[in-house]
Amino acid sequence: MPGKEGLTLFFPEKMAERVLTPVETRAGSAKRTIVFVIVLIVVAALAALPWYGNSVLVQFGISVLLLATLAQGWNIIGGYTGYASFGNSVFYGLGAYGVAIAMVQFKLPFWIGMIAGLVLAVVFAAALGAAVLRLRGHYFAIATLALAFIMTAIVSNVEIAGSNIGLVLPLLKSDVLFYELALGLLVLATMTVWWLANSRFGLGLISIRENEEGAAVMGVNTTLYKTLAFMLSAAFTGLAGGIYAYYITFIDPVGVFDVGLNVKMIIMAVFGGPGTVLGPVVGALILSTISEVLATKVTSIASMFFGIVIVIAVVFMPRGIADVLRRAGRSPLRYFVDNVRTHRL
Amino acid sequence: MATPARTPAAAGNILEVRNLTKRFAGLVAVNDVTFDLRRGEILGLIGPNGAGKTTLVGMINGTIEPTSGDIVFDGHSVLGVPAYRRAHMGIGRTFQVMKPFPGLTVLENAAVGARFGAAGGIKDMRRAQDRARECLEFVGLGRRIDQRADALGGPDRKRLELAKALSMKPTLLLLDEVMAGLNHVEIEEVIEDIRKVRDQGISILVIEHVMKAITSLSDRVFVLHHGEKILEGPTEEVLRDPRVVEAYLGKKRTKS
Repeated sequence: MPGKEGLTLFFPEKMAERVLTPVETRAGSAKRTIVFVIVLIVVAALAALPWYGNSVLVQFGISVLLLATLAQGWNIIGGYTGYASFGNSVFYGLGAYGVAIAMVQFKLPFWIGMIAGLVLAVVFAAALGAAVLRLRGHYFAIATLALAFIMTAIVSNVEIAGSNIGLVLPLLKSDVLFYELALGLLVLATMTVWWLANSRFGLGLISIRENEEGAAVMGVNTTLYKTLAFMLSAAFTGLAGGIYAYYITFIDPVGVFDVGLNVKMIIMAVFGGPGTVLGPVVGALILSTISEVLATKVTSIASMFFGIVIVIAVVFMPRGIADVLRRAGRSPLRYFVDNVRTHRL
Repeated sequence: MATPARTPAAAGNILEVRNLTKRFAGLVAVNDVTFDLRRGEILGLIGPNGAGKTTLVGMINGTIEPTSGDIVFDGHSVLGVPAYRRAHMGIGRTFQVMKPFPGLTVLENAAVGARFGAAGGIKDMRRAQDRARECLEFVGLGRRIDQRADALGGPDRKRLELAKALSMKPTLLLLDEVMAGLNHVEIEEVIEDIRKVRDQGISILVIEHVMKAITSLSDRVFVLHHGEKILEGPTEEVLRDPRVVEAYLGKKRTKS
């Protein structure tokens, strides 16, 4: 005899009113509301910062906001999709050059330059993705890393990009504008990642990260999804590069195609919690602050100290701050010891 | 779909495998295999280890590209159709070496199938989750939906593998040793589950070493040995055949 549960298996709509313990849902949504309100307050406070902070703080803010955007951009391809990209600094450089070339060579306004940089980065990501997203794990990382290195050499030979000398952009002395632009971009990137975390598309990306073959077999168009994730990552990274170019007013190939910057975004995203909505932002904020404080207080050993912080973080909390907050609550000591044990260090 | 529907004679078959061959450098894993799977039937596939059973399943669901031959699903050739599209068409499978999404919860694991499976899945999140939950309850994982998949024990992982495939709402289900490592009670449960699945009109290809499962489930059985189909027919008949006994246990020593 076919069981009752067997029959309903194929009519999910009939089961819609069932389950979903109301208590759980309410508790979950209440927590969500609290987080949402806190985030809203923080964003408002950040937006108002130029009016109560000094110019040094605003400049530091621009740098942190751009780094956080980069970490968030990397989070899409690295944190959610599981592809450790070292090519994101290329998107950053392309975004920067898009603005620089448009403004210097064609005397176009900034926003057209931003669009140019965006298109450049996204198209490049699509083309690059078609080639390298077939590779997995270390091979993907190495392929993108190699590209990041040769990019400097390539752009150094492009005349319209000012060859190896670089380009000098028109000066706009308005840090407040750059600050608000950077904040707006970060909010946009974070909202996008929040959408990812709750959407079908994002679930597809996560399933690719967790087991790519398993995902394909269950109906996820892995090639398309990976490429779209790479393009989305490139979009935010490129836009951040564009803002940076106009803000800093001078770019050269070595400066904007810097692999070191790529390493930075990875560290920040991983430190904060890859594959989480707010982790990379928090990671960028904490690490930038630490590095800034160290650089002013103990200049000589600052970079060494920074390295130590990262090593300790990776040993004791390899899944980032977000995971610490989520799981270390009950017995912090045990949490950290368990991390050391499970990751065999 | 690029390929037109095949002959009307094929209407009774959900799957037709024709002269399917897979060569890996120097090794013929599957050699010229032809068989049909009728709509609503449970077809058993048996054979010793290394016979090519998993390779055959891989070619049907699109994770392995055949060297030659044809696969017709629901009247259309699916050669060259990527695995995800075959999932949309209604082919679901489990893996002998399980492929859970380790960092996700049990519910999220099944939700992937519900949201991406047959016909592209259920777009609405709530309904997809309901379906995922239903499939998990069906295989007896209802109480573990919030656990991480990598926290599950062996038998529960097998159950999850089955629930993931079911959540896709397949019309053809390929089961690759879902009972390996289960105890007698658990095997009975899974046999009962599979029977219920079939009663909903899902056609099933079941690979199993557990003979009890094959005898109590299969309408027909075919035997793969060294990549070749050596026998096909009603279950009882096939299992009594000396060639099957030989493939599994080796040749009986005769005085000569």
